[in-house]
Amino acid sequence: MNADPIPVSSLEYGKVGDAPPAISPSRRRFLKNTVLGLAVLSASKLFPRTLVRGLAPDVIANQLRFFSEHEYMIVRVVTERIVGPTPRPAEGQHTIDVAQRADEFLSLADPEIQEQFHQLLSVFNGVVFAFLFDFRFSSFLDMNPEDQDSYLEDWMTSPLTFRRQVFVALKRLSLSMYYTEEQSWTEIGYTGLFLPWERP
Amino acid sequence: MIHRGIEFNTPVHESADVCIVGSGCGGGASAKVLAAAGRKVILLEEGGYYTAADFDGTEQTAYKNLYQQRAGQATGDLSVTVLQGRCVGGSSTVNWTTTIRTPDFVLRAWQRDHGVTGVTTEDLDPYFERIEHYLNVHAEPEENHNPNNRIILDGARRLGYRASANGRNTKGCVKAGSCGMGCPYDAKLSVNVTYIPDAVRSGATVFADCRAEKIEVHGQIKRVRGVILDPETRRPRTEVSIEAPVVIVSGSAIHSPVLLKNSHLANSSKLVGQHLTFHLTTAVLGIFDSIIYPGGGIPQSAMCDEFLNKNNDDGGFWIEAVPVHPTLAALGLPGFGARHHELMRMFPNLGATIVLVKETDSFGRVMVNAQGRPNIAYSIGKKDLAYLKEAIKVAAEIQFAAGARRVMTLHARQTEFRSPADIDSSLAAADWGKNQLSLYSAHPLGTCRMGARKETAVLDSHCQAHDVKGLFVIDGSFTPTSLGVNPQLTILAVAEKSAEWLAENFATIARG
Repeated sequence: MNADPIPVSSLEYGKVGDAPPAISPSRRRFLKNTVLGLAVLSASKLFPRTLVRGLAPDVIANQLRFFSEHEYMIVRVVTERIVGPTPRPAEGQHTIDVAQRADEFLSLADPEIQEQFHQLLSVFNGVVFAFLFDFRFSSFLDMNPEDQDSYLEDWMTSPLTFRRQVFVALKRLSLSMYYTEEQSWTEIGYTGLFLPWERP
Repeated sequence: MIHRGIEFNTPVHESADVCIVGSGCGGGASAKVLAAAGRKVILLEEGGYYTAADFDGTEQTAYKNLYQQRAGQATGDLSVTVLQGRCVGGSSTVNWTTTIRTPDFVLRAWQRDHGVTGVTTEDLDPYFERIEHYLNVHAEPEENHNPNNRIILDGARRLGYRASANGRNTKGCVKAGSCGMGCPYDAKLSVNVTYIPDAVRSGATVFADCRAEKIEVHGQIKRVRGVILDPETRRPRTEVSIEAPVVIVSGSAIHSPVLLKNSHLANSSKLVGQHLTFHLTTAVLGIFDSIIYPGGGIPQSAMCDEFLNKNNDDGGFWIEAVPVHPTLAALGLPGFGARHHELMRMFPNLGATIVLVKETDSFGRVMVNAQGRPNIAYSIGKKDLAYLKEAIKVAAEIQFAAGARRVMTLHARQTEFRSPADIDSSLAAADWGKNQLSLYSAHPLGTCRMGARKETAVLDSHCQAHDVKGLFVIDGSFTPTSLGVNPQLTILAVAEKSAEWLAENFATIARG
């Protein structure tokens, strides 16, 4: 399974014999080139991670290739909120696990992208960040669904460019992982190539 | 002969008369002309070599195999998604077939403002005619336009705007709607099924999965160094070096300047990577009572060119249809969650129209990041933003005139019009900062521009670097200004013309 369009650019680089590349200055700017961003990134490492709500089935935790179990939970909830309510799978179909597809996708990404995504998730879910910008006292994972939607909305419409960038990255990842899965097409009425009335 | 990366485990060292980096419109056309002239041509392509049998009509396969960065290439701030092909045939393999001659006012500006010679309408017309014949460029008859293209034709005409069928490079099109994912029927006469096979028949050799990383100049000889990639993992398998007296860089306006900068070549003007234009694009979506099904049928067959240079200021905009499949729709539609999902469920009833702004005062450039890869920056200018807003307004009016029940933009915060009377007030209240409106580019151009003087241009009028004899840049990089139209015919024509000049003067040029 290869799920495709990606949230951030600069994939697939590296030369023969090269060590894994450092984070590029341009990408550091993505999270770090504000004083506040730096402070939050630093501070987020000082705080213990919030409790995971125990949603991850063991079977998934054992299969993760890129995310930690905690990160998987963040992405799972983020993608659920971004993709929105989806119909119950038909008989013989499975629920599309967007976070697992994202895990597989990011496991093949360049080390630079991988590190950025770890940072992005840490910042997005960090209680410090939620407090500083939105005066919220819990991490994203610990919010109820309504607050999670409200929190995502804050990132989407923030006056701070880098917060909007984070939202764009999460949205691209979530929706591309979901809608490249053929099973999702039925619910939106997509039936593949050709106009429906001209299909051979 | 076309080689794939999987064939090589040990370093490859070859020599040729001409080494071409990139197999899109510029590289493919140059290869055909030079191979036919008897030159030994080696062509290096970073992407893979795929044929009709590999194109399964899904976004998943197409983005993975055929697009730069799996269709995720973007500016550093993620504000503009830059769609480019990365495969044998380049962007021509994944474009929507629109084939349009360079507007005369654009070529006159190149001559007037940049001192470009030999690239007037009169100079290019014979090339346009020859290429249009070669690629079977034609306008579709009325009955072939799908409902998504009919929105433009019907809506624009009802409003009194000029709209017509555009040229398409297809033969035997079955109207599948797969153009953006590679044509499974070989009906699109893209470079991978026309120029490249012809070049190979004349003796050219293509190395797919081969990324050029540096050009070295050793007296008369140039050496292109790079790596051969594993087709699946895209990790380097081995090294490659090609020696040739002439090198043509055809890696696109995003990647050609990076190769030149990494090689410390042709940049005495400090303009390599500067003057990037995007033909900045966004979409306007209408919701109709009838079925539009924007992913099926001929993707792009109609245009409204009423507003290009309408004010004689070299600016303006162009309106086309955009074929939409699930992922592209999902990424463009505003918002997230339940509201977004509700919009997705209207997919069959969506009409999708794009507006493309011919920039005049925006600022774009391609820099090089710490890994030696592109770092793209772009800021829209005031005048271009005004045109973008006007373009959205006109496209929305066209959607309503064609019967849309409501119309929306790609703003993150849903911006929707219930009637034409809503448009002005809603646009005035909308957010226009970075990442508040989804923006795209499929036509990045202009990062190694042509011009008469080496102080103000990277290339001369034959696309040869002012600084380095025998080094050419033949791709979308050469344009001194935004084109305002889809660029493939312009690139093909200038490529053929420049390659012919090179073939005629090869002995002199090769001596350095």
